[in-house]
Amino acid sequence: MARGDAEFVEFARAASARLVHAAFLMTGDHHQAEDAAQTALARTYASWSRVHDDDAYGYARRTLVNHLVDGWRRPMREYPTDEVPEQRRGDVADEVATRRWLVTILGALSPRERAIVVLRYYFDLPEAQVARELAVSVGTVKSTSSRALEKLRTAAPRTTDEEARR
Amino acid sequence: MNEWERLRHAMRATERPDAVLDLATVMREGRRLRTRRRVAGAGAATLAAGIAAVVVLVAVDASGSGGTAPTERPPPVAVAPPSVGVSPTSPEPTPPPTVARDVPPPKALGQVIDSGVRYGTDQRVYYLVRVSVPGAPKVTVGLAAGRRSPNGYLTTDLLVNDVEGADRSAGFHQIGYDERSSTTPVPTFGYFVGPAQRIIGTVDGQQVDARLARWSFDKNVVIFWFDPAELAPGKRLDGIIARDASGRRL
Repeated sequence: MARGDAEFVEFARAASARLVHAAFLMTGDHHQAEDAAQTALARTYASWSRVHDDDAYGYARRTLVNHLVDGWRRPMREYPTDEVPEQRRGDVADEVATRRWLVTILGALSPRERAIVVLRYYFDLPEAQVARELAVSVGTVKSTSSRALEKLRTAAPRTTDEEARR
Repeated sequence: MNEWERLRHAMRATERPDAVLDLATVMREGRRLRTRRRVAGAGAATLAAGIAAVVVLVAVDASGSGGTAPTERPPPVAVAPPSVGVSPTSPEPTPPPTVARDVPPPKALGQVIDSGVRYGTDQRVYYLVRVSVPGAPKVTVGLAAGRRSPNGYLTTDLLVNDVEGADRSAGFHQIGYDERSSTTPVPTFGYFVGPAQRIIGTVDGQQVDARLARWSFDKNVVIFWFDPAELAPGKRLDGIIARDASGRRL
């Protein structure tokens, strides 16, 4: 394996879990998320000679987000409980409940709001960078975040009520 | 915990570190894409050369002068600059480090960072390496302080990594202090995840600016170290803070 290929494999192993999860947060669909992450990594690999010494992760993240934004038409889907991994990591019931809450909350947001929320609060990017990566203004990031927060506030109690009724 | 914090926590808590993609397929697709781009690039260049030739012929007919074919090139590579000092503020506790020693020559993930500190012809360098911590599946990388000889050979002096949580969670992670385990003292070092533009340590009431560089694989990871002339290796920090570009404490 060429040196560049070995470096890419190391990079992809380090980055794939976060890319897949980010894509899941933006789509609500695991299969679509894996496809999107795979596409982003393939495009990163295609440009590896010029990105590997710069910001490979940033490049893969931008590619992922652009790919999803370009193809967004599907609604969020509920994540089925039986797809939870077999291995035990902490309290699985808690994780399933958190995941269900998360999917419901994110499902109430528009694709652009989801993208902004994920870039801002999952990747911890500053507002200016979120604006650059989505090719929108900082004001749009702020106002969209604010709208998303309102939706979060209204969706969260309803979710809690539904959990309580079960 | 407010709504954003709850959401941030939920997004991280549901991350699946075991997500594995088919890298062979990824690389096959990547190669195919690269080939397509080259073919498209060559086609465009041929077409451009053809157009240029027509233009040249017309120009020669008209005035007797020639022209050249256009070319394209990718954007340049960036390297992170060192930090610049402004005014410091209050300290906060430094987390205890987890240190592993006598680690065999590792494979660096991404670019090796030259600190500018020299030991004869050897350079003090920092680099991320892959680690595996039982019971902490979200810890996959650690930060090594090593030396690079003129022939490029890396010798690891200290390796620090998280032992719980996630190695990419926002904020400071483990800090490495010299433990006199090497013939060369190791300047205090560590990493911060987030948009830090400045990192300031406090020791004995004095504030010391760290040097910064970003990890080539993930620019959100800010690697820092303290100049040994400003902070003696092994000297424990009383506190450390990070500030963003606008001076806001992170």
